[in-house]
Amino acid sequence: MSAQPCAYRRAFCDKWLSSDTGSRHNVFMIAKQTLRLVALLLLLVIPASPVFAHASEQGFVLLLPTDVYIVSGAASVGLTVLLLTVLPDQFVASVFRPIAVLRLHQSGLSVVSSCLSALLLVALVWVGFYGSHDPLANPLPVFFWTIWWIGFIALQGLLGDLWRWLNPWTGPVSILQKTLNIRPFLRLPTGLGHSVAILTFMSFAAFLLADPAPADPERLARVVGAYWLFTLLAILAFGPRWLRRAEGLSVVLRAYARMGVFGRKGNRFAVGIPGWQALNLRAPTIGIAVLMLLMLGSGSFDGLNETFWWLGLIGVNPLEFPGRSAVITQNLTGLVLANIWLISAYAMAIWLGLALIKSTVPLSRGFCLFAPSILPIALGYHIAHYFPSFLVDSQYALSVVTDPMGTGADFLQLGTYYVTTGFFNSQDSVRLIWLTQAAAVVGGHILAVMLAHAIALRHFGTTRHAVLSQVPLALFMVLYTLFGLWLLASPKG
Amino acid sequence: MTKDIRKPVGTTRRNALKTLGLGAGAAAAATSLPMWARYAQAQSSEPIRIGFQLHRTGIGAAYGRWYDRTTQAVVKQINAAGGINGRPVEIVAEDDGTDPKRGAEVIEKFANQSNCDIAYGTLFSHVVIGSAPRAAELKLPYFVVSEGHHVASGMLNRYTLQPGITDVKSQVQAMAPFVAQNLGKKITMIFPDFAFGHDHRDYFTAAIEAQGGEVLAQIAIPPTETSFTKYFPKIPRDTEVIYHVMVGPAVLTFVKELGEFFGPSRPEMFGFIDSLEAVDLASPGLEFLEGTYFWEGNPRYAQANQTSFDKDYRAAVGVDDNGASINDPKDVSTYSHMFGCWETLHVVKAGMEAAGYKTRADAPKLIEAVEAMTDMAASDAHPQGAKWFNGKTHQVFGHQYISRVTDQKLILAHTTSIEDTLYPDEVDYTKQAF
Repeated sequence: MSAQPCAYRRAFCDKWLSSDTGSRHNVFMIAKQTLRLVALLLLLVIPASPVFAHASEQGFVLLLPTDVYIVSGAASVGLTVLLLTVLPDQFVASVFRPIAVLRLHQSGLSVVSSCLSALLLVALVWVGFYGSHDPLANPLPVFFWTIWWIGFIALQGLLGDLWRWLNPWTGPVSILQKTLNIRPFLRLPTGLGHSVAILTFMSFAAFLLADPAPADPERLARVVGAYWLFTLLAILAFGPRWLRRAEGLSVVLRAYARMGVFGRKGNRFAVGIPGWQALNLRAPTIGIAVLMLLMLGSGSFDGLNETFWWLGLIGVNPLEFPGRSAVITQNLTGLVLANIWLISAYAMAIWLGLALIKSTVPLSRGFCLFAPSILPIALGYHIAHYFPSFLVDSQYALSVVTDPMGTGADFLQLGTYYVTTGFFNSQDSVRLIWLTQAAAVVGGHILAVMLAHAIALRHFGTTRHAVLSQVPLALFMVLYTLFGLWLLASPKG
Repeated sequence: MTKDIRKPVGTTRRNALKTLGLGAGAAAAATSLPMWARYAQAQSSEPIRIGFQLHRTGIGAAYGRWYDRTTQAVVKQINAAGGINGRPVEIVAEDDGTDPKRGAEVIEKFANQSNCDIAYGTLFSHVVIGSAPRAAELKLPYFVVSEGHHVASGMLNRYTLQPGITDVKSQVQAMAPFVAQNLGKKITMIFPDFAFGHDHRDYFTAAIEAQGGEVLAQIAIPPTETSFTKYFPKIPRDTEVIYHVMVGPAVLTFVKELGEFFGPSRPEMFGFIDSLEAVDLASPGLEFLEGTYFWEGNPRYAQANQTSFDKDYRAAVGVDDNGASINDPKDVSTYSHMFGCWETLHVVKAGMEAAGYKTRADAPKLIEAVEAMTDMAASDAHPQGAKWFNGKTHQVFGHQYISRVTDQKLILAHTTSIEDTLYPDEVDYTKQAF
């Protein structure tokens, strides 16, 4: 994990240091200095290596001056908004300009890596059925939730489209099509758009948030195994279009890849500040735009549902939480309401922005244009929300790698190995963890306002129009920063 | 200070057999089984499968991690010494999500899928209460490590036993004599306003009144409260002792604000370590607790009079003299509770060996063997100290520890007698049919 923050920081900082040095504009220089400071702030709070590692974490968080942190965080985002109003147009455009590095060549490597990924998945499903029943001793839940859902999603968002190589379907499908000479024999109706992807992603979110035992190895093995097989058959039947339009996880992962520092520019491999790809790609369709908001809405509810505030709202005593099976309906309802609320608030901000500049751009077009600017917020929140559990569960990942079948094996030669949560037990380490989380949230929002501004400049021509159109969305983002940081600081059950 | 009312007798197989009243011939035959024969049997026998109902996720996960660590350590030790009846012990851990509904499902899995001999290890009361009826229906002996009074209160059943950890009623009641004699008789209680706090309120109020004391005020704090300053003016001025049992994430804030409220001139304070279980006492804000007293189920810090049993137990679980993990001094264990796992599995071993346990069909014999147990001496099997098991109520009773915070450590100030913890029977499970 340590390399990722480094790569992120380096790309981030280099970009600031090297961008548009020819300009002598005073405001520009001040802006550059300020943004450099923000970059340095991120550098300071994102640790280069995992810090040492639960029970009392919340207690220490309550003792931290989180009110000050929250206001500072939101102010940083607000300040970025103000800076953007006075910066010359070319500044933001140059920030998001990538550097082409290598010419890309076609290779069959992704078929091989995808097949290996599929083999790993089949093995994990088998272990899910026949290995330990303990979700933190069985490799399937540890790999699926910790390595893939928490870790891999973050990497995909920070680096780029790794899923292209590691998805467990394209390789096996390619081989099956060639060996069995199968051609797609069904047509996915165009009119469906991305609705099937929305359905599958929301089913996944519902499983994550409301299922009573999403980490139970056997249950997870059934779900993962069945979904993998179903998707494999669907791709064989409908062709690769199924992965692009109907398989919700792949659609979401490709959306996150738009945030990665590495990507394609024409036929070249390029690197740039997170968001450059989102700006270079065509605006998403309405279905993908909705999915981008669902990613943030579902992710946000995945923190909100643990807060004392929410538990109080549904009449549950957080100190004697009755278990997930007692709150299935409440979680499902909350998930739906949170997403409806978020989509409405976003749409309202876009509508107001368009109205302010008397734009002829229809709301649906504006909705799609700016949706990618939500991605860094969703990614920042994903990283922030899961960071503490990753610190603990990644240790369990190490223990299942060394002893995958619980037979007492020690392939990594770890010796007597104890998982620790001691880092939740001191003020200093809890502060560092909290600030790292806050940095992910604030960093995500700063990128979001920059990205939205760049999109507005591209589509609304003048700085004045761009700035004016962005006032409601920028306000929405500052308020969401407050909300995101409040979530991190809130007592949880 | 310890005043035991009974002559300590170990729960060896011999003693258990004796208490079972089996014939001397049978006892001699069992104990004379040569070691080679036990190992030979071990090689040819199916393991004893213990279904471990583990709070791996959910509200109990922090405790679950240490319950698991202790369980792994005790099973390793039992297996190294030849297992149970010469058969190795195998732990089948299932996560119950600290969820009563899942708890019952896990019990079904143990009985119907994993072919477990017993279910064991549950801490949280609501999971115990949700699981116990299913265990009885499936005739699966259910050994809980919960501290709840629900076993001894009679609300459960013959298949549910708590032989490795004392219950909250006995713990709270046993504090009253020390508090009244050493700290003061005018008490103000501050507790969270739900079942856990209410148990403390009810048991302690009755117990302190029996000691000639008086509860001046009972301040119930809403469970979602995170700032407490507004409650402190309700503390009567003539309070001699504050009895506090706050739990949850706001505990550190509670202590900090209490310290700010009283400054240097505070009344005596007495709390339950449940508030700060697994929390480093050297944490900022806790300086105010210096000189105050806490109940401990098992002293977290190795004491000057540490027994060899405690020393060996710490080493086996990987806990240092400060009650923290040997690999991370900040990773403080749930020391006041997790010994219950260690002791419970030793009781299971003794019970199975006394009953000549072979298959699930012998479950009633196992339960009768445990019901027949009485005294358990402090030993490697009972590192927390001597105990007395009440077969009728299925509840064990034992010494309680009162420690004083001294230089940010807990130093033992008083050990209660087992007698202090006893109360009249509220049920006789032995009269229930299997």
